[in-house]
Amino acid sequence: MKVRSILNNQLINMSNDSDMDYSSEDNECEYDYYNTGVADVDIEQIDRKNMDSEYLEFKCLNVEEVEKLLNESVEHLSNTIHLMPSLAKVLLLEHSWQANEIIEKYNRNPNALLIRSRIKPHNAPARKPSSNEHMSSTSHQSSSQPVCSVCTSSQPSQNFFNLSCGHPFCKECWASHFETQINQGISTAIGCMASKCNVRVPEELVLSLLTKPNIRDKYQQFTFSDYVKSHPQLRFCPGANCQIIIQCKIMEPKKATCSSCNISFCFKCGSDYHAPTDCQVIKKWLTKCADDSETANYISAHTKDCPKCNICIEKNGGCNHMQCFSCRYDFCWMCMGDWKTHGSEYYECSRYKEYPNIANESVHAQAREALKKYLHYYERWENHSKSLQLEEQTLAAMRERINTKVMNGLGTWIDWQHLFNAAALLAKCRYTLQYTYPYAYFMEAGSRKDLFEYQQAQLEAEIENLSWKIERAETTDRGDLENQMDVSEKRRITLLTDFFQ
Amino acid sequence: MTSTRRLQKELADLRSSDLKSFKDIQVDEANLLVWNGLIIPENPPYNKGAFRIEINFPAEYPFKPPKICFKTKIYHPNIDEKGQVCLPIISAENWKPATKTDQVIQALIALVNDPEPEHPLRADLAEEFQKDRKKFFKTAEDFTRKHSEKRPNE
Repeated sequence: MKVRSILNNQLINMSNDSDMDYSSEDNECEYDYYNTGVADVDIEQIDRKNMDSEYLEFKCLNVEEVEKLLNESVEHLSNTIHLMPSLAKVLLLEHSWQANEIIEKYNRNPNALLIRSRIKPHNAPARKPSSNEHMSSTSHQSSSQPVCSVCTSSQPSQNFFNLSCGHPFCKECWASHFETQINQGISTAIGCMASKCNVRVPEELVLSLLTKPNIRDKYQQFTFSDYVKSHPQLRFCPGANCQIIIQCKIMEPKKATCSSCNISFCFKCGSDYHAPTDCQVIKKWLTKCADDSETANYISAHTKDCPKCNICIEKNGGCNHMQCFSCRYDFCWMCMGDWKTHGSEYYECSRYKEYPNIANESVHAQAREALKKYLHYYERWENHSKSLQLEEQTLAAMRERINTKVMNGLGTWIDWQHLFNAAALLAKCRYTLQYTYPYAYFMEAGSRKDLFEYQQAQLEAEIENLSWKIERAETTDRGDLENQMDVSEKRRITLLTDFFQ
Repeated sequence: MTSTRRLQKELADLRSSDLKSFKDIQVDEANLLVWNGLIIPENPPYNKGAFRIEINFPAEYPFKPPKICFKTKIYHPNIDEKGQVCLPIISAENWKPATKTDQVIQALIALVNDPEPEHPLRADLAEEFQKDRKKFFKTAEDFTRKHSEKRPNE
């Protein structure tokens, strides 16, 4: 109450005060606010690791930090098995950076490991360069200079290089080969030029023979990208032009957020976060949606008619609990039924009712039923996605309304902060709910699905309550709203628990 | 330029080696990047005719692979209606700069003689080849008789 009165005075006096004065006085109450905020965060952090099944521990690294990290692994392996660092790096690349696995294989059979990793040739190395088919000195030539089999020119023997396989080619040809390969996006996999030879070209040879600086840069960029992509603990941030690499000890389908560009994604597959649907299923679902979207778009229109007075209604907020502006009828946007039946016990409109006798029906009827089923899930998925976008509008409108209220002396800005927390939580819940639909679509019918859809329905109901209360925040009691937030979050966690176990 | 010197050498080698199954090699000396020649298969149902192919070398040859195209219509699971052929040895991933055109032609002839229905370009023909070999041979022979060129005197 004290804080409110101070701020009110300030607002009244604002026109007289300079900006400087305002902000310095404002600090006092801000300090109080953040102080309690910090304490909350501390408790939350301790809780998170043990309690929050969604919590993912990760680090955002820049290129230099990752290079350092990779070099440490290389050095460690190189010292353990006494192998050149460049070869150790190739082994790590080939074995997803699992040093222990490499050491074990190396101790068992070093030769087999080196052959499989394309460091050593399959067959015994080719004979000495002078008698080799790839570099033949022809007798009728006066100088007995060897000939490069790629460019067919004879050159002094110091111009030739060969890998462990013993196939020699001239420097110029090697360089042209590297350049062509790099321009095709190939870097760590560049191989020997001889037919049927798969020995890998070591990084040092490429770098020592490449002269054009832009090609060298490209090569180093590509090799770095190969190293990161082969590393199970690392993933490039999917944000456009973002240079950050996320490091996470365990490969899990959890949400990572880039500290630089703020993008959130699933650490396991790199696409949008999608719990409780798993990586393969969401991919299947998104492909399906892309294929079928036109039919679905055609069928699910943007507007609906009020079931009672038939006036045309366009949805302008995220909440599915609709109240017709004309006849005041309360109904559900999804199933168009009376909202009264949407109490938590009876909330069923998220559930798809399979037609039990479908196996006996004609192919045509089955196809229609399959489309109906898909549309049921697609409409709900799409609806939540749209609601999430509309929630932005709701938030902007809310900010506007709060501003007006504060200006009119109805409470302070701080008094209304809880509404923003509620809106953030609503978005989080809606996001999870959206991603429950692909999961349910691909789930086999049975008691597990019944339970999942029951829990899903519960979350649906709570979210709609929350959304309704936020949109009508002025008339909602704060305690009531916070209670609703708590219930909604608990329902959300329940849905996710199974997925993360 | 690397491609010219190498192609000249390969062409000379190929002409002097006088292959039994690849004849009538025609190259415009002003443009060494396009070769023409006749494939002469030994195995039925293709052994009653000759098939003209065109080999296109890229300017970056031998660092990039040549492309092969059939100019004569052929009823074959691995060669499509446009004359395109799927030959692993000249795919971008497998290409080796030291691979000679001679080796490429040998691989092509082997494929024509013994179709690989496991990696078909024309799935319908591959299926027929595997399920109804008799019918496949009949159609392929008719096709050969109708479209192929005369075999140079053997």
